[in-house]
Amino acid sequence: MKLIRKTFFRLLFVLPLIGFMSNTHAQSDPTGESPATRTYAITNATIVQSPGKVMEEGTIVITDGLITAIGKNVNIPSNAEVLDGTDMFIYPGFIDGMSNTGADRPQSPERPDNLFTPDPPNSYAGITPEHQVIEQIKVDENSIEAMRKVGFTVSHTVPYGRMLPGSGALILLRDADHPDKLILSEGSSLYSQFSGAPGAYPGNTLGIMAKFRDLYKNAELSKNHSELYASNPSGISRPTRDRVSEAFYPVIDKQQPIFYNASNSLEARRAMRLQKELRFNLVLGNLQEGWDLADEIKSSGTKVFMSLELPKEPKNSKEDDKSDEVKQLEERRMEFYKKYVSQYADLQKAGIKFGFSSIDSRSNQLKDNLLTIIENGLSEDEALAALTTNAADLLGISDITGTLDEGKIGNLIVSKGAYFDKESQIKYVFVDGDKYEYDLKTGARKTEDGAASPANMEAVIGSWSYEFTTPQGTQTGKMVFKNESGILTGVMSSNDGTPDVDLQNISFLNSELTFDFSIDAGGQSVDIVVEGVIDGKNYDAEASVAAFNFTFPIQATKDEA
Amino acid sequence: MIKISSFFILFLCVSALQAQTKKGDVLIKNGTVITITDGTLENTDVLVRNGKIDRIGKNLKTPNGVEEVDATGKFVMPGIIDAHSHIAGTSINEGTSQVTAEVSMEDVVDPLDVSIYRALAGGVTSIHLMHGSANVIGGQNETLKLRWGSTNPEDLRFEGAPRTIKFALGENPTRGGRSRGIQPQSRMGVEAMLRNTFNDAIKYRDAWNAYRSNKSSRKVAPEYSLRMETMVDILEGEVLVHCHSYRADEIYMLMKVFSDFGIKRLTFQHANEAYKVAPELAEFGASASVFADWWAYKLEVYYSTAYNAAILTENGVTTSINSDSGELIRHLFHEAAKTQKYGDLSDNQALALITLNPAKQLGIDNRVGSLEKGKDADIAIFDNHPLSIYAVPQMTFVDGVKYFDIENDVADQRIYIDPESTVEDVQILYANDHDRCMEDANVVNFTDLFNNK
Repeated sequence: MKLIRKTFFRLLFVLPLIGFMSNTHAQSDPTGESPATRTYAITNATIVQSPGKVMEEGTIVITDGLITAIGKNVNIPSNAEVLDGTDMFIYPGFIDGMSNTGADRPQSPERPDNLFTPDPPNSYAGITPEHQVIEQIKVDENSIEAMRKVGFTVSHTVPYGRMLPGSGALILLRDADHPDKLILSEGSSLYSQFSGAPGAYPGNTLGIMAKFRDLYKNAELSKNHSELYASNPSGISRPTRDRVSEAFYPVIDKQQPIFYNASNSLEARRAMRLQKELRFNLVLGNLQEGWDLADEIKSSGTKVFMSLELPKEPKNSKEDDKSDEVKQLEERRMEFYKKYVSQYADLQKAGIKFGFSSIDSRSNQLKDNLLTIIENGLSEDEALAALTTNAADLLGISDITGTLDEGKIGNLIVSKGAYFDKESQIKYVFVDGDKYEYDLKTGARKTEDGAASPANMEAVIGSWSYEFTTPQGTQTGKMVFKNESGILTGVMSSNDGTPDVDLQNISFLNSELTFDFSIDAGGQSVDIVVEGVIDGKNYDAEASVAAFNFTFPIQATKDEA
Repeated sequence: MIKISSFFILFLCVSALQAQTKKGDVLIKNGTVITITDGTLENTDVLVRNGKIDRIGKNLKTPNGVEEVDATGKFVMPGIIDAHSHIAGTSINEGTSQVTAEVSMEDVVDPLDVSIYRALAGGVTSIHLMHGSANVIGGQNETLKLRWGSTNPEDLRFEGAPRTIKFALGENPTRGGRSRGIQPQSRMGVEAMLRNTFNDAIKYRDAWNAYRSNKSSRKVAPEYSLRMETMVDILEGEVLVHCHSYRADEIYMLMKVFSDFGIKRLTFQHANEAYKVAPELAEFGASASVFADWWAYKLEVYYSTAYNAAILTENGVTTSINSDSGELIRHLFHEAAKTQKYGDLSDNQALALITLNPAKQLGIDNRVGSLEKGKDADIAIFDNHPLSIYAVPQMTFVDGVKYFDIENDVADQRIYIDPESTVEDVQILYANDHDRCMEDANVVNFTDLFNNK
């Protein structure tokens, strides 16, 4: 107990240093930094109320969490904190259509002893649709601040897990002392993925598709049975409690959509195939390969949140004596890169109103990716709509947020310069009417960032030489960690010529460094989670591959600067 | 009235679906036409209209707007059908359970697999995409037409083909059982598992039949099981069974089990010892789909013969030769030709092993497998007789649409490309390079050697 308490206090001390910089608001703040007022007025700003609807030199007033006035000549309440909006652009807060923001990845379920692989317990099979994402949400999850500082105010957060992890919720990306206070609405989705159970049924897409049909059909029967019994139990066998089936009832009633994490085109078609057979409301989240799917998406009435993750732009070889074949291969690779980055504009032209999903992307890449998408044909207004109005419509919350109008939630972004200008910077983000302020960089050289970063991050930042041994042999390479505006980022490269991988979900706390990455193993994406402790220049960690129920040690030493 | 209009809407939807795949028109002129069912016709034309063979005859007139293909000196045969393939699938085994009748390869068809194009370049027009052999009752298979170029798996489906399912006997499923500590761990366990599962299916069918015939408005449905639904469909003959097998004893065992449960449509896959029970197979009416000359890759298949296909054929067993491989599928005509060395099969018998017979085993012989008026225009054209070692496929048509033409064989056939993939110089064999083993010999250019110049 003592130990826990100690760690907790240290956490309190460290947290404001890590990523909560300049934040003047906290609701039950033991340091006494609660704001003096919850009334704000931003004056003389360019207000983009909704895509295409712009007011110059306007004022917006936010009172107790809501937008209470917006216009050129509005009364500023006497108790308002007035913020000068000169040179500032105000936008509705962005809405993330599908992410794990705020959720803490639980430990992978342990393989039970004497596992009967054809029929594993639901917890191991990953069939837990009765779970709610709030069980995983932690108020101090780094991702909340990371997404907020790039302009997101609402996230449709889905739980971690396998085939059917549970239902998602809409959360406000605000500071709070309890997860309940983040919730905008629960039961927003039943979340589904093509992730099999390691070495047990359903193990892959084959089993997942069949199991899904089986579960759905039995849920329909179970629902009929329960309703029959409820209407008059006499002479009817009593239905047994079945929370898995019950979780499907709102889906069957079309009160809850199924959000399918379908990143590639074949997965998207499989999800639409299930929708066609079973007739539920389908939302494709995280779609990364949609350029051939416009017709199917439209004819099936499927809703879409496009991924904000983009492939890296291919770099052609600079060698002079390239063979014609290499040139052709490079051209075709570029042709496909273009398909990835221009599909957003194409789907828009095809009449598909999509939102964005950040689930596979890093928060500090989102703006760059948006700009790339805009360079490749999506207009700024269309991009803004995808971030705000479209997403609000698709999630059914356009009556409370998505535009800047009186009466709506005080979710907004104040940016110095137009947001879609490369050089623009976010100065304030308001979530639920609370102000989060960010330091503007003054154009000074980037190296100064390092000085501003929390001291303890220094232990990680830099280049590391790693080594690990698997049955395939010993692998060596470099990991490079950077501080990008207060967020740890990392790239892992291998000496055997495998393409570099971005490290995800990097966290460093109390000398513990954890991160994960995915590698492509013969067409199957395999997630590897690395957890370990940094002691001076040594990193001693364990990597686990849940898909194969396999762990191996990994060591790294920090390179001399 | 409502019923009629909804039926009409349904009909419209179905026609719309069927209209999605491309159908071609073509006149293939003056070739040697190997029909399989009606002999070999010299200097004969094949007219294809809207994806179907419209006429076979001499000096046919070219209808307006129909493309002509000159097949003078060339050989025109039905497209090759591979009754055992694992190309074009993103997953092959749901090997976690020993009965997975509910899973289906139709869910994992991968139209982007470049092996499809390679198969077309070997004259193949249809494949039987099979579930793997990790379990006793594996998943349902999917019969495909190789309509290369579409990104939609639905476009590759052989519309109207009967459903089929994979079973497996012997070492593969028992190895899985032993490694997981579950049934079956022996050949006895395999048989017990088959019988138990069919008996479960009968109970399941009875329960649902009782429910359906119950007239009460307050009836409660039994549990639904997609697995048992499929098993019932097998019992009722709606799903054809293709069973991975090697040894004669286990082949005989399965015939006994199927006799007991009244299941008639059965094809043994691999069946390296099928020749030992050829008369019994013929009497049962079972088929066999075998390798030409491949065995001894594990203990249970230590004993076999290259005469297997010929012995089965001469005993009246419908026999096909399959590839089970993304490489062998490119030259199944070589594999068929081996039965002429080992067993002296006639040209027609040998070619039926890779055309009409696999079509029968898949239940699609009313549509493909021979060149006949009214059948689908799935056609392969060769420069030499397809059983000649010099034969090279020239063109391959599915539904009258040309998907392979050796004169227009674009090197990079990939449909989707990962922008983050690395580009490397492909070093296979350059036209201008001499092979090292012939270095300084200067006898002949290596490519010309293969061009038979």
